[in-house]
Amino acid sequence: MRLLLTMLLSGLPAAAGAQATEGIFPFPYHTVRLDNGFTAYVIRAGAPGQIAFVSMVRTGSRDEVEPGKSGFAHFFEHMMFRGTERYPNYDGITAAMGAARNAFTSSDMTVYYLVAASEYLEQILDLESDRFRNLRYAEPDFRTEAGAVLGEYQQSATTPFGFLNEKVRETAYDQHTYRHTTIGFEADVRAMPEGYDYSLTFYRRFYRPENVVLVIAGDVDPERAEALIRRYYRPWEPGYSAPDVPAEPAQAAARARTVEYPGRTLPVLSLNWKGPAWSARDRLAVATEVLGRVAFGSNSDLYRRLVIRDRLVQSLSAGFGLQRDPALLSVTATVTDPAQVDAVATAVHETVQRFQAEPPDAQPLADTKRALKYGFLMGLETAQSVAFAMIPFVVNTGGVEAVEDYYRTLDAVTADDVRAAARRYLVDPGLTVVTMVQGGAR
Amino acid sequence: MNRRAGLPGLMLVMGTTTLAAQASAGRLITLPEAGSPFVAFNVWVQVGSQYDPKGKEGLAALTAALLADGSTTEHRYDAILTQLYPMAAGYGASVDKEMTVFTGRVHRDNLDAYYGLFRNAVLRPAFDQEDFARIKTRTLNFLERGRRFARDEELAKELLFWMAYRGTPYEHPEEGYVESVRSITLDDVRAFYRAHYLRTAVVVGVGGGHPDGFAERVRRDFDALPAGTLPVVAPPRPAPLEGIKVLIVEKPTDATAISLGFPFGLVRGQPDFFALMAANAWFGEHRSSVSRLYQIIRETRGMNYGDYSYIEAFPLGYTTQQPPVNVARRSHLFEIWIRPIARTGPDDLHDRALFATRAAWRELTTLVDSGMTDTTLAGITQYLHNFSVTYGSTVSRRLAYAVDDAFYGLRGEGFLPGIRPGLAALTAPSVNAAIRRHLQHRNMYVVFITQDAEGLKRKLLSGGPTAIRYAGEKPGSLLAEDAEIARFPIPVTADDITIVGINEVFER
Repeated sequence: MRLLLTMLLSGLPAAAGAQATEGIFPFPYHTVRLDNGFTAYVIRAGAPGQIAFVSMVRTGSRDEVEPGKSGFAHFFEHMMFRGTERYPNYDGITAAMGAARNAFTSSDMTVYYLVAASEYLEQILDLESDRFRNLRYAEPDFRTEAGAVLGEYQQSATTPFGFLNEKVRETAYDQHTYRHTTIGFEADVRAMPEGYDYSLTFYRRFYRPENVVLVIAGDVDPERAEALIRRYYRPWEPGYSAPDVPAEPAQAAARARTVEYPGRTLPVLSLNWKGPAWSARDRLAVATEVLGRVAFGSNSDLYRRLVIRDRLVQSLSAGFGLQRDPALLSVTATVTDPAQVDAVATAVHETVQRFQAEPPDAQPLADTKRALKYGFLMGLETAQSVAFAMIPFVVNTGGVEAVEDYYRTLDAVTADDVRAAARRYLVDPGLTVVTMVQGGAR
Repeated sequence: MNRRAGLPGLMLVMGTTTLAAQASAGRLITLPEAGSPFVAFNVWVQVGSQYDPKGKEGLAALTAALLADGSTTEHRYDAILTQLYPMAAGYGASVDKEMTVFTGRVHRDNLDAYYGLFRNAVLRPAFDQEDFARIKTRTLNFLERGRRFARDEELAKELLFWMAYRGTPYEHPEEGYVESVRSITLDDVRAFYRAHYLRTAVVVGVGGGHPDGFAERVRRDFDALPAGTLPVVAPPRPAPLEGIKVLIVEKPTDATAISLGFPFGLVRGQPDFFALMAANAWFGEHRSSVSRLYQIIRETRGMNYGDYSYIEAFPLGYTTQQPPVNVARRSHLFEIWIRPIARTGPDDLHDRALFATRAAWRELTTLVDSGMTDTTLAGITQYLHNFSVTYGSTVSRRLAYAVDDAFYGLRGEGFLPGIRPGLAALTAPSVNAAIRRHLQHRNMYVVFITQDAEGLKRKLLSGGPTAIRYAGEKPGSLLAEDAEIARFPIPVTADDITIVGINEVFER
C-alpha cells in the first residue's frame, strides 16, 4: 500500500470527451464582476486541497509603444516581487506557504501565478490584491533588478532561435510593437536601470482592475471565494488607459533577408505571413489555425516528405497560433544540408499553392479538429493547468466565456474555409523570409 | 478519498501502488486513479548510458531514440504519427546514466489505439535504415552545434559531470561524443537492443484511469521480451579530488556560464538524505528566491537570473521548476549552478564572473562551517513541507516517482509521502552534523565557459580582488561584504587549470 500526495482532478467527469456540442470545458465556473471593472473566475476543478491563483494582466510587450522601452513589461514583472509597505517581504511570505509561484510575460500578457494549499486562499487574496494596488520599491532595488533582466537576456536571446526571433520581427514589422521581442532589444535592456520614473507610470497605467483578470482554479468554494474577492479587490481604483498601439500598415511586397548567427548552426529557414487577429467566432481566423496544422504540422504531407522521407529538414514547425493583434503565421525549417535551403523553400511554397488551389481532404481536417480538442482536454490535469488553459481566452477577450465559442467555431470550420484562409493570408505581399546561417567568422 | 490526519489543509487521495515481481517475469508498478481521464505509462528499461561500449558512447540513447521516433514492424513511422495525431498524444524516451524510460500519456477515450502503438514501439521496432539515418543526423547536429552553441549553462553542467566522473561509466554524456556517435551503425543499435531489452530488465509502470486488468495485460505483453540477465555495472567510484580543478572553455560570448561541485556519496533513501534536502533548499533551492545563493547573487546584487545548488542530478533545469524524474543514480554530485554572468562594461566580465563564483564559494564555506540555526531550519522545512506537494502534480510524475522508488529500493510508502515525516524529524544539530559529513568547500571542480580564457586564467592565478560596480547606490554594509567576497581565496595553481576551445568539447 502506498499513500500518495496527489493533485488528481477527481472532479473531471468520466464522460469528458471531445464532444464540443455539449460544451468542451468540463468544469463549472463562477464569475465575479466588480464595479471597478475587475473580473474573476472561480473554477472548481477538484484538485484536492490545492488552488492555482492566476492573475492575468492584459499588457505585454505589445503595449510598449514608447521608443527605448522595449522589454519593459517583462522587466516590470520582475519588480512585482519586490513587496509593498504592508508586506515588504513577498518572497518570504510565499515561501512560508510553500507556494509554487512565478510569472511570465509575452507579447499580449503578463501572468502571475501561485499554486498553494487551499487553506491559504484568503492570505493569497490579501497579498496579491495588495501588490497589484500598492507595490512599492526603491530606485536602488529597481536598478539591481535590471541586472537580473540583463542576465536573462544573455541566456535566452543569444540562443539560435532567440536570435532568429528577434531578426524575423524586426524585418517583418514596420510599425506595430510586435516588431520587438518580449525580452526587448539589448540596448533597451542595458538602459533599463535609468527607467525608475517610467516604471511608476507604467504601474499606474496598466495595473488597474479593468486590465486584470483573476482565475482561481482547484479546490475552492466559489461563494466564499466571491465574498473574499469582493472584499480585497473592491477598493482598487480604476484608471486603465489603453495604449495607442500602432497598426501595422499593409505590406506591399515580400521581404527576404539572410542573417548570420554568431555561432554554429544549421541553416534555419523562417517563412512568415501576416495573419489575422485571434477570434473565437470568426471562422476564417480559426480556419487559419487549422491550416497551419493541416499544411505544415507533424501529420502533413510536407512533414512526411521533408522530415521523414527525404530528410532535407531536421525539424519543421508551424506557428499559426493567433494573437490579440494580427501576428505572424510562421513556418520554420532547420535544413540538414545548406545546399538544400532553396529546395526546402520551394517545397513550402508549393504547399501553399496547393492549399490555395484545393481544400484539404476530409480526414486530415477531421483529425486536426480532434487533435485540437484533445490537446485542450489533455491540458486539464492540474489546478494550474486548468487555470492556464484559460489564458488565451482571457488575454484575447477579457473573459473565459469564449472557450465554448471557440470550439463551436472550430466544429463549423469547413475545408473551403481552410482554402479561403490560405488564399487570404498566405500571399506574397505579406511574406517575410528570413534565412539564418552560420556566421562566417566563427 | 481520505483526509490524512496531521496534515492540515491538504486533502490527499489514497492511491494504491503495487509493485509485483516474479522470478520468471519482470515487475509491474500500478497506480490506478479511477477518476482520472488520463492514462500514463512509464516503462523503465534498466539500462543507461553506463552500458555504452567504449568508442560507442551514445549507443543507449540512440537505441531509445530509434524506438521512440522510428517505425515498428506493424507501422511505418509516418503512419504512427498519423494515428497519434488526432489523439493529441505521443510517446518518448529518455536515457540517463542508469535508466532508459519510455513514457506516454493519453486520454482514456483513446487508450486502446494508443497503447498498441506504444507497445509496438518498445517491443517491435523495425530498425529501419532511413529512420536510423534521420535520428543519427539529428543527434550529430546536436553534438556538433546545439550542445556547443545553444545554451552555455547546460554545457557547463555537462562538463562538470564529465570532470567529476572521469574514468567511470558515468563519464560520458548520455548523447555521446561526436566521434563515437559517428561510428555507431544500425547493427550496433540492433545488437544493443537484443542484449539489453530483456524481460527481467524491464519494469512496467501504468497509472491513471485505466480499466481493471489493463496494467496486468501490459505487463504480460512486455513479458514477450527475451529472457536473460544484464551484466552488472559496479557503482561509479569517482577519483578522489584534492584541491581545485578548473576547466575554462573558450568561446565568443558576452556572458560567462559557471558550474562547480564535487562527488557526493548521498542518495535517496539513506539516513541523511532529508537533512541534506533541507540544507540544500536553504542554500540553493532550484529556481526559488528562498535560498541564500539567490539572495546573495541575484536578489541583492542583480548579477544574473538565478543561482542554485543540487544534491541530485537535475538536467535541463532551465526548462522546469519541478525536480526531474527518472534520473535516478547510484552516485550524485553536490553541484552549484551560477547562471550566466553578463558583462556590464567593456572589461568587467571576468571580474564579475569571479566575484559571483567567490560569493557562492563563500556561502558554501559558511554553510559547512556554521551550519543552520533552528530558525532557518524551521523556515525551510515549512517551505518544503508545502512545496513538495507539487512534485507529484500529475499522474505521469507520480508514476515516475514510483519507478524511481523501485530504483532506489525504497520500501514502504516511498519517497513522496516520506518527505514530510523525514523533514519533521530534523533538528538543527542533526542537519549540521549531516552537512559536515557530506559537504566540504576545499576540493572542487569548476567550469567556466567564457571569452578570453587566458585572461580569466591569469586573473584566477593572480588571486587579486575582483570587485564589481553597481548601477545604483548600495548600503555600506553590502559594500563591506563585497570587499570580503572580492578577496575570497580560490587557491589554484597553473597546473590545475585547463583551457579548451569550444569546438573541441566532447569531440571524442
